[in-house]
Amino acid sequence: MQIKNEKDFWAGLMFMGFGLAAVTIAVGPPAFLVAAWKSMGWGNLQYGYQMGTAVRMGPAYFPTMLGGLLAFLGFIVFLRGFFSELPPETMKANLSFGILDFVVGVALFAGLGYASKVMFKSGDYGMLAASVILAVLSFLFRPKTKPLILILACGMVFAYLLKPLGLVLATILLVFVAALGGHEYKTKEVAIVAVVLSIFSVVVFVYGLTLPFQIWPAAFY
Amino acid sequence: MEILSNLALGFGVALSPFNLLMCLVGVVLGTLIGVLPGVGPVATIAMLLPITFNLNPIGALIMLAGIYYGAQYGGSTTAILVNLPGESSSVVTCLDGYQMARQGRAGPALATAAIASFFAGTISTVVVALFAPPLAEVALKFGPSEYFSLMVLGLVAATVLASGSLIKAISMVLLGLLLGLVGTDVNSGVLRFAFGVSELADGIGFVVVAMGMFGLAEIIVNLEQKEAREVFTSKVGRLMPSKEDFKRMTPAILRGTALGSALGILPGGGALLSSFAAYTVEKKVSRYPAEFGKGAIEGVAGPEAANNAGAQTSFIPLLTLGIPGNAVMALMIGAMMIQGIAPGPQVMTERPQLFWGMIASMWIGNLMLVVLNLPMIGIWIKLLTVPYRILYPTILVFMCIGVFSLSNNPFDVLIMAFFGVLGYICAKLACEPAPMILGFILGPLMEENLRRAMLLSRGDPLVFFQKPISATFLTLSIVLLVVISLPALRSKREEAFAGDEQK
Repeated sequence: MQIKNEKDFWAGLMFMGFGLAAVTIAVGPPAFLVAAWKSMGWGNLQYGYQMGTAVRMGPAYFPTMLGGLLAFLGFIVFLRGFFSELPPETMKANLSFGILDFVVGVALFAGLGYASKVMFKSGDYGMLAASVILAVLSFLFRPKTKPLILILACGMVFAYLLKPLGLVLATILLVFVAALGGHEYKTKEVAIVAVVLSIFSVVVFVYGLTLPFQIWPAAFY
Repeated sequence: MEILSNLALGFGVALSPFNLLMCLVGVVLGTLIGVLPGVGPVATIAMLLPITFNLNPIGALIMLAGIYYGAQYGGSTTAILVNLPGESSSVVTCLDGYQMARQGRAGPALATAAIASFFAGTISTVVVALFAPPLAEVALKFGPSEYFSLMVLGLVAATVLASGSLIKAISMVLLGLLLGLVGTDVNSGVLRFAFGVSELADGIGFVVVAMGMFGLAEIIVNLEQKEAREVFTSKVGRLMPSKEDFKRMTPAILRGTALGSALGILPGGGALLSSFAAYTVEKKVSRYPAEFGKGAIEGVAGPEAANNAGAQTSFIPLLTLGIPGNAVMALMIGAMMIQGIAPGPQVMTERPQLFWGMIASMWIGNLMLVVLNLPMIGIWIKLLTVPYRILYPTILVFMCIGVFSLSNNPFDVLIMAFFGVLGYICAKLACEPAPMILGFILGPLMEENLRRAMLLSRGDPLVFFQKPISATFLTLSIVLLVVISLPALRSKREEAFAGDEQK
């Protein structure tokens, strides 16, 4: 079997994944998995929602319907990936990352998020750290993913550092990280944009719209 | 003459200094983002939603509406001068508008676009005023089964009109419906799909999804492509079209307006569909078919009239049924909910000032847009020279501040990033995000109405086919799906959207 339409192949897998996940979460995982989970000493696996009847639908009813249908349609799209008559060159997905890169990224966020939740009672530090690490990895090893990773990272850096650093510094950081994701990087130009934008956002959002942001780092107060 | 007194009430509201200012802000912003390629009305309205918390509801909605139809004006400027659609609905304007500009007729092309848009805007304002009240009256009688079937029809129409594969569009709708269910189930109080995250108890914020799927993903995809923008710097020249031009564009404008007004009302319709349809029609009926693609003035006038008319009449289903026809209207629903207004047919009777004020403001806004776009065209042309590498960090700053301020919590930005990834993957896999957004907003509503209808019918699913209105909606949905899956039509549809994908 040869994949003739990459776009449909991956889209189908994605839809199946979402659909099956929805059904599994709604109806609950199969009994053997719950038993295995418990025998490993990991506690109780949450066991689905109530299905109810057609007259009195429980919280599981509608999501199960939707999820099942989605998984079914996803399967058809997935199959179409093998039987396309369109020229395969035009059906390349052209994603900037591979499936392995994706797994690494997800694992990084899940792992660090969980670790920081256990250690600091908040996942925030883990999320920030994962974003920064991923940005560095992308910069060093996967230059093609720079637009994706750095644009996402700039938002995360901004969001998680806004409270400790204040609006001005967080905005400047955001602009610099975002600029690194583009084609051309001119330090001088980026610096000017960063300064102008941080002044603008302080004037408009803090003074104009009175959003409750701190302007300077928390240590200054 | 109830309409006249209603319109008088509306103009009274819309002409208050504050609402005039809001309307001006809206149309200026709309023109701005219309001119700038890579920034669409969906992302902009999503960005501004948090800010509207502090405004009064009428002002907020007037401003947001102005952004949508204002973008239709601005988009044509970029299409004509740069051969880039500033707005997706001006894709077809590129074809003949840019050719006119190359022949040194940029001025008349711009003027034609503005005149066509203004005329269409005026007529479609009247259409909204005439058709909305009777529709709202009918809608007041709707029960849960009618509502459920109507939503099915809306979603089906949205998938049929989405470009690309039908089955993928339906899948995206289902995905949107599922994502809309995240959070506390209203009936049982059970927390669904929340993974123990307390922030998800109220569901995923709609603004966050829209910004991630449209805003972030758009920037990422744009950055992956090399920037290649060629500004048509030749002088715009005199604006006034010649007598011959007027003669040729008048029937095109009339046809475009009629087509746009009709297609805008359809669920799933709006500016984009209208402009494509109008171009096809113009090409078919023209006496000079050979000129199309080489600077035919009808190719500018028809679609420009249609996209503006479609943009405005797409407010009809929103205002009368509380059901969004496209992604922008879904955001408007979000804006109404933020203000504590339950969208639906009762808006017209309970808040006539809001309803008629918004309609009146559309005409005023169109008048402002003509002034903004013709005499002041030079300013907008200058804006076109701002490089994207300066533009996108600016957009990002606004997006991040907007999302963060929703609940002063970095978690919202994290979710936005998640939807940014999803949006990017969807863009790469040719899955359209617009149907998903519609599904997302309708998810909880659909479940609610399905449950109620089934409770009333004691679990008999046939109830949806026993009530005449509900049965009509469902039959229409099925017919639409069947017709569109017929092989002959399928290739036609793919052809019609081919131009869309080439951009």
